[in-house]
Amino acid sequence: MSSAQIEIQVIASLVAVACAIPGTFLVLRKMAMISDAISHSILPGLVIGFFITQDLNSPMLILLAAVTGVLTVVLVEQIQKTGLVKEDTAIGLVFPALFSIGVIMIAKNANDVHLDVDAVLLGELAFAPFDRLIVSGVDIGPKSLWIIGVILLITIALLFAFFKELKLSTFDAGLATSLGFSPVVIHYGLMTVSSITTVGAFDAVGAILVVALMIAPAASAYLLTTDLKKMLLLSIVFGVFSAISGYWVAHWLDASIAGSITTMLGLLFLIVYLFAPSKGLIAVMYREKQQKIEVSLLTFLLHLKNHTEENERHVNHLREHINWQKIRAKTVVDLALKNNMITIDNHIVSLTEKGDEFTSQAIDYIITNQDTQIEDMKDDFFLFRG
Amino acid sequence: MQKIAVQVDDLTVAYNYKPVLWDIDLEIPEGVLMAIVGPNGAGKSTLIKSILGILKPIAGSISIYGKPYEKQRSLVAYVPQKGSVDWDFPTTALDVVMMGTYGSLGWVKRPGQKEKKAALEALEQVGMLPFKNRQISQLSGGQQQRIFLARALVQDASIYFMDEPFQGVDATTEIAIINILKALRKANKTVVVVHHDLQTVPEYFDWVTFLNVKKIATGPVKDIFNDDNLTKTYGINYKVSIQK
Ligand SMILES: Nc1ncnc2c1ncn2[C@@H]1O[C@H](COP(=O)(O)OP(=O)(O)OP(=O)(O)O)[C@@H](O)[C@H]1O
Ligand SMILES: [Mg+2]
Repeated sequence: MSSAQIEIQVIASLVAVACAIPGTFLVLRKMAMISDAISHSILPGLVIGFFITQDLNSPMLILLAAVTGVLTVVLVEQIQKTGLVKEDTAIGLVFPALFSIGVIMIAKNANDVHLDVDAVLLGELAFAPFDRLIVSGVDIGPKSLWIIGVILLITIALLFAFFKELKLSTFDAGLATSLGFSPVVIHYGLMTVSSITTVGAFDAVGAILVVALMIAPAASAYLLTTDLKKMLLLSIVFGVFSAISGYWVAHWLDASIAGSITTMLGLLFLIVYLFAPSKGLIAVMYREKQQKIEVSLLTFLLHLKNHTEENERHVNHLREHINWQKIRAKTVVDLALKNNMITIDNHIVSLTEKGDEFTSQAIDYIITNQDTQIEDMKDDFFLFRG
Repeated sequence: MQKIAVQVDDLTVAYNYKPVLWDIDLEIPEGVLMAIVGPNGAGKSTLIKSILGILKPIAGSISIYGKPYEKQRSLVAYVPQKGSVDWDFPTTALDVVMMGTYGSLGWVKRPGQKEKKAALEALEQVGMLPFKNRQISQLSGGQQQRIFLARALVQDASIYFMDEPFQGVDATTEIAIINILKALRKANKTVVVVHHDLQTVPEYFDWVTFLNVKKIATGPVKDIFNDDNLTKTYGINYKVSIQK
């Protein structure tokens, strides 16, 4: 690996971490769309900042653009407050307007500004190592590395200092207010960090990748854990993994790095969405199927308990009577047999002692409406599940 | 004469210019267990949120033991309506209860062993200790309500505001909760509860406030919990439905 290659991967990874931290809280606050709005509407701030500073990497320009980001949030909230439109509509109104102002400003001054819209949206990680920071004649590394590094350090420091406040105001803003932690301050703090991170990162990776890096890792992590700290860590791991694997995919395919990283993020989310152990699509579908079978089993057992007469308990009659398809009837009968709930003697089905006890308890719980207890009961009685 | 724990003067609150609370005067004496009753949309939650500084009133003033709320935060604990938070938030029962200690910690400082111990005790008190490491979405509605109660208990306050703590709980849990509230009153704490089940008001509470945009009445249950006030508040005749 050349040093430029290493530098690109380090920059991409730092951006991933810097995005994952505010991204986690944006996802939990159901504000994913806001990051999209910020990333686009900072453009006019950048252009104005560039006119003033003539330097794409000056801290002044980053601050100006970040102010535009926060302004976007304020605008969205003000429009929403009128009660005329919903939040998503307000976002949809604000950011295209600001973004297009930025585009017009670039077009009008295309000769003086070496900014172009493609670069803003997609960035160019591959060029990042060529823009070096030289301090008194010594090359100390790529500029974007320093910018994102500083932003990341500040973000981490803020996260450590205000973790408890962030958690409380995200979970229960009412309690946060009543305890004297101003959720408004926390909210705008988070918006400021998100804006600064977006500005600092977009030069290297572009606006689209910034949004993807903020939302996709956090959304994936959300499906995998029920612990906020683990969610933060997982988002960071996912972000860094996508950044590095995306880089190599781009390398092999000779494709855009930002595009490949975004693709990796999408794939990662898709895999997690399908296969997450408890919240994933497949797990949910499996659970629903299993519940259906368990309900059928219960119906079947209740029927047996209610009918002592043999003709009602004949295997063939049961099929007609409860009106199940053959397959389903077989699954249910097998499950009941496996768990020693029933015996079949000469085609006559009878409840065993265990089956009888299970059914009585189930009726009790259903009558008293204690569904959660049924779950515990199933654990007690079932050897094999459906 | 009893001390006044909470004093509300001329309180008017509006969302988008439409007043939902109109010129409320209310005194809550120290050591009472008070029910706030009124129909849906009467402004009960709004009243509590205004007292706690969560909503800004357009007029009026509020004082807690004679001082503004901002100076008396540590004296007040709050149980919000259960639907006001996202129960899918990635956190555990214990962690939610610990949040009750954040107020005494102030900014930046992290909860430590002392706070954890207090939270575990509060969980024990509401019978939720075995569930301490459960993710909160995996708790039943009644258990979530107990967690909220434990979070308020851990605040170790003098005044407790609870917004429908009996919402969706079964009879056993309801009795467990009311016993905790009665124990608080015994310890001379003031407890204010938004309550919907009119049948149980005389049994559970000693003080009651009728609210429907305006304050209809406030005072001891035995003096003012009558058909006249119920009719004024709910607009229908309650003579048949309430037997005392
Ligand atoms: N955020 C809000 N924006 C606009 N109107 C609101 C808002 N919150 C409440 N309201 C309105 O204010 C009025 C009082 O609401 P509040 O929640 O205080 O009623 P409540 O007495 O607690 O009712 P419930 O018994 O249903 O909990 C209602 O008419 C409600 O529609
Ligand atoms: Mg309410």
